[in-house]
Amino acid sequence: MAEECAASTRFARERRTIAWAWIALLLLMLTSLGSAYAKLGPWNMVAGLVIAGIKAGIVAWLFMRLREAGVLIRLAAVAGLGAWCILLVLSGVDYATRTLTPTDVQRPQQLPPAHGAASQPR
Amino acid sequence: MSSATLAHPSVDEKQEPGTGKLGMWVFLASELLFFGGLFVAYLYGRTHFPGGWAEASRRTDVLLGTVNTAVLLTSSAAVALAVACEEDAQARRWTARLLSLTAALGIVFLLLKCLEWHDEWREHLVPGPDFALHAAGAQQFFALYFLMTGLHGVHMICGIAALGLLARGRSRGRAWAGARELEVAALYWHFVDAVWIFLYPLLYLVDRHG
Repeated sequence: MAEECAASTRFARERRTIAWAWIALLLLMLTSLGSAYAKLGPWNMVAGLVIAGIKAGIVAWLFMRLREAGVLIRLAAVAGLGAWCILLVLSGVDYATRTLTPTDVQRPQQLPPAHGAASQPR
Repeated sequence: MSSATLAHPSVDEKQEPGTGKLGMWVFLASELLFFGGLFVAYLYGRTHFPGGWAEASRRTDVLLGTVNTAVLLTSSAAVALAVACEEDAQARRWTARLLSLTAALGIVFLLLKCLEWHDEWREHLVPGPDFALHAAGAQQFFALYFLMTGLHGVHMICGIAALGLLARGRSRGRAWAGARELEVAALYWHFVDAVWIFLYPLLYLVDRHG
């Protein structure tokens, strides 16, 4: 009897959590939409990504139940994110430090020349 | 080791998670890298072709994109509720219906997506010789747009098939449609939702105030 009550309470709590999380996700979506129409310059992208990060966090923590998961599962989740960060940083460093030079096969309007006449397509 | 031990492990779930759940998380980590490469390509384009990216993003259908996002977020809540219902003896009868609802919302999402793609095809926004926009980077934006939403769509189809199958199996009391299988499928669905959560602002909300 006591076990049934505990289970029922747990389910009611879970149901409430899901409902609130759903409402929060929809409100955050509308906030993201609204922020896109505000003139924030480069902060528009930051705002969009931060809100998306919060939404993804709600999905991962509450819906995917990372909050009650063990160390091994949390480690798997973090490992994926960590590997992506390595991809982002190393690719970003590569592109940030490499000079772009158009090749002959590219039409001029696809890529603005990085240097002077020496690098212009023949 | 006795067969009794094999049949009924006594360790705590937190210390030794089911192989299905851990396996799915490891798979999702690899999927994150699958989409992650495309996100890195997107970030490169956005930082190097801001004008083209903005002009192209303004041509996406923000209304359909927003509705689709709401549909997918609701489907994620539905499948989370299905998992919760499965764990409660009294609410278990709702599990199959919630799984069917999730799959149905997924189908709605794909139909709206097809509508969007059709409209973009008509407006010559598919990269090619007749591409409508001329700003540098605009074609690259739409190449990534179709690639990323197309890849996401393929993942949605797999998720819809899995959830539909589980809904059917659950309603018929099949052993292969149990709580463990449901939880693993739900994890996959939440991941597909999480990918769209990032696709939405990156594809639909660039420079909307311009």
